[in-house]
Formats: sequence, structure tokens, C-alpha cells
Amino acid sequence: MPNHDPPTRYSGVAQSFHWIIAALIVTQFILGWTAVDLPSGMHKLALFGRHKSVGMTVLLLAILRLLWRFKHPPPDLPPAMTPVERVLARATHIAFYVLLFAMPITGWMMSSAKNYSVSWFGLFTWPDLIGQNETAFNILKATHDYLSFILFGIAVLHVLAALKHHFWNKDDVFIRMLPFTKSEKRS
Amino acid sequence: MMRRGALAVALFAAAAVAGAAGPASYTADPAASRLEFTGVQEGAEFKGTFRKFTAAVDFAPEALASARFDVQIDLNSLDTMDKDRDQTIRGPDLFDIAHYPTAHYVTRSFTKTATGYSAVGALTLHGVTKDVPIDFQFVAAAGKSKIEGTAKLKRLEFGVGQGDWKSTAEVKDEVKVAFSLVLKPAP
Repeated sequence: MPNHDPPTRYSGVAQSFHWIIAALIVTQFILGWTAVDLPSGMHKLALFGRHKSVGMTVLLLAILRLLWRFKHPPPDLPPAMTPVERVLARATHIAFYVLLFAMPITGWMMSSAKNYSVSWFGLFTWPDLIGQNETAFNILKATHDYLSFILFGIAVLHVLAALKHHFWNKDDVFIRMLPFTKSEKRS
Repeated sequence: MMRRGALAVALFAAAAVAGAAGPASYTADPAASRLEFTGVQEGAEFKGTFRKFTAAVDFAPEALASARFDVQIDLNSLDTMDKDRDQTIRGPDLFDIAHYPTAHYVTRSFTKTATGYSAVGALTLHGVTKDVPIDFQFVAAAGKSKIEGTAKLKRLEFGVGQGDWKSTAEVKDEVKVAFSLVLKPAP
């Protein structure tokens, strides 16, 4: 008997994508914001090398995650949410998906523009997206920087919203993305 | 008088024979010739070019015993398509061009190989002189003969990499060299 009811929890696969990508993005902020303040030298080179490898991993996972999501719709939002809250939640989630692609792609392009090709953990080298171009590099770097602040902003909003759902609304919006838990109708 | 005339003829003949068997002398056409190196940083290759170098070439396939390459490289003329990287390589921990502005390569012996020729020569770089073998092909053409070849060397054998740069974790020890010399008759 196939179950036609919409799911009440995120699947294990969706949870894995969410938490692995979240951990990688935290890593990216630490690597990127540490490296950018270092003087030119080997430590900067090393941190950005890791940052690029992790960033390409995020891009690959983002592609897989989006494909998975098309086939597996997420659980519905709680009926108690107002239309404004729904629009806000939806906009935040769409912004996340856009940034999951925009961050690595602008990073990859700026590496190409500066003629520092992107390796994946030393195993292979990704092709350059554009040719060496200092003006393009400066524009892409500024874009990558601004996008990182936007990403940081919506990540804070996302965490606060999850906590609000859990502690204020007392619904299962947070719990249903949490592995090793069971959702119960809490409201 | 007869004896002196005979001696002159004999000397002339000897000179003519030596001339035929000896190598032709060339210099590399600076506009058409290239001297490149390829390093690996963070698992990704990067290319650099020396914009200024001179090469004196004595070479003829039938006179390998008296062949000779003498190459002077202006290290300050390096160009890796990124000013920050160029400055780092010029700096005290790598080329240290304030103390060692030029590199010098001079061959000692040549041999014929299955695919072309190889030579062993002494490279003086960063105040260190060490043997570096090269493999090359000689393409004879009237007024536009060409020598194209490659070499491999280890930067740390020449002390190119002090302080942090002694580590090969971020920048590999091995550096590939490629050259293409368009020859014109020496003046």
C-alpha cells in the first residue's frame, strides 16, 4: 500500500544533505574569513587551497541535493503559520539554494580570473571558467564577499527561525530536520 | 716560398674541414623564443614565463662533441599572470632576486637519443650550481632552426624555498621547464 500522505519529516537523505552542507559552510566561513586577513604567503595559500576544495565539494553536494529535492518534496509547513511567515520561510530557503550555487561558482571564477586554478584536495584540477583578468577578479571577489555576508545573514535568520519554531511555537519544524529524533504532533 | 704556400693551402683546407664539421653558432631570437616553468601549488599547476633571457647556441647534429648552450635568465622578468605571486617568487624566501638576479645554464655534454637529443648542463640558480639534464629536439630550417625541449628540476636543491616555503605540502618541490628557442645566426 503506497502512502500518499505528505511526509511529516525530512528523509534521512535530506537531513544528511542539510547537516553535512551546513558543517561545510561553517568550515568555509572559518577558512575564508581567516585567510582573507592573512598577508600573502604560504599560510594564506594553504587556507585558500582548503577553502576551494571544500567549496567545490559544496557545489557538488548542492547539485545532488537539488536533484533529490525535485524528486522528494519536503514536508508541509505547519498549518498554524501565517501567509507572511510562509513567504518568509520560502524566500529564505530559495535564497539558500541560490547561494549554494552562487558562492562556489563566483569563488571558482575568481580563482580562474587570478590564474590560480582550483584543485580538489590535490586529486585533480578543475578547468578554468574564465581567462586571467584582473578587473574580473576584483568584481568577482567583491561579489563573493558580499554574498558571504548575505549568506551569513540568512543563516542567522534560519537558525533563529528554527529555534523560534521549537521553543516559541512548539511545533516540529526543527525536530523534523534533526536526525535520531521522532516527530510528535506538539501543537 | 713554395713551402710557405703549401702550408697556407694546408691550413686553409684544415680550416675548411673544421668549418664543415663544427657546429653553427646561433642566438635565440628573443621575440620568438620562450622559456616557461610550471609549478604546482595547492594541487593545481601554474605556469610562469621568463620575459628576458639570452641563449647562445652552438649546435649541429653531426658535431655534438662541440655543441654548447649558454643561457642567461633575468629572474626579475618572471611572469606568472599574477602580480602577487610574481612578487612572492621574487622575494627573499624564493628567488631572492635582490641577491641572485640571474640564473645561468651552460651545457657540458650532449648525446643522441631515440627521439632527439639530451644534454647535461650546470644550472646556477639562487647561488647554487647543480647539474640539470635537458631533453630537446632540433628542427633544422633555413634561417629559422628551432630547439624545443623540457627539463625537470627540484627547487629545494637550489635553496629556492626558505622558511615556510621549505615545505612541499602547498608548493611542490618539482618544477617543470619548457623551452622553445628560435635560432638566428650569431652575429
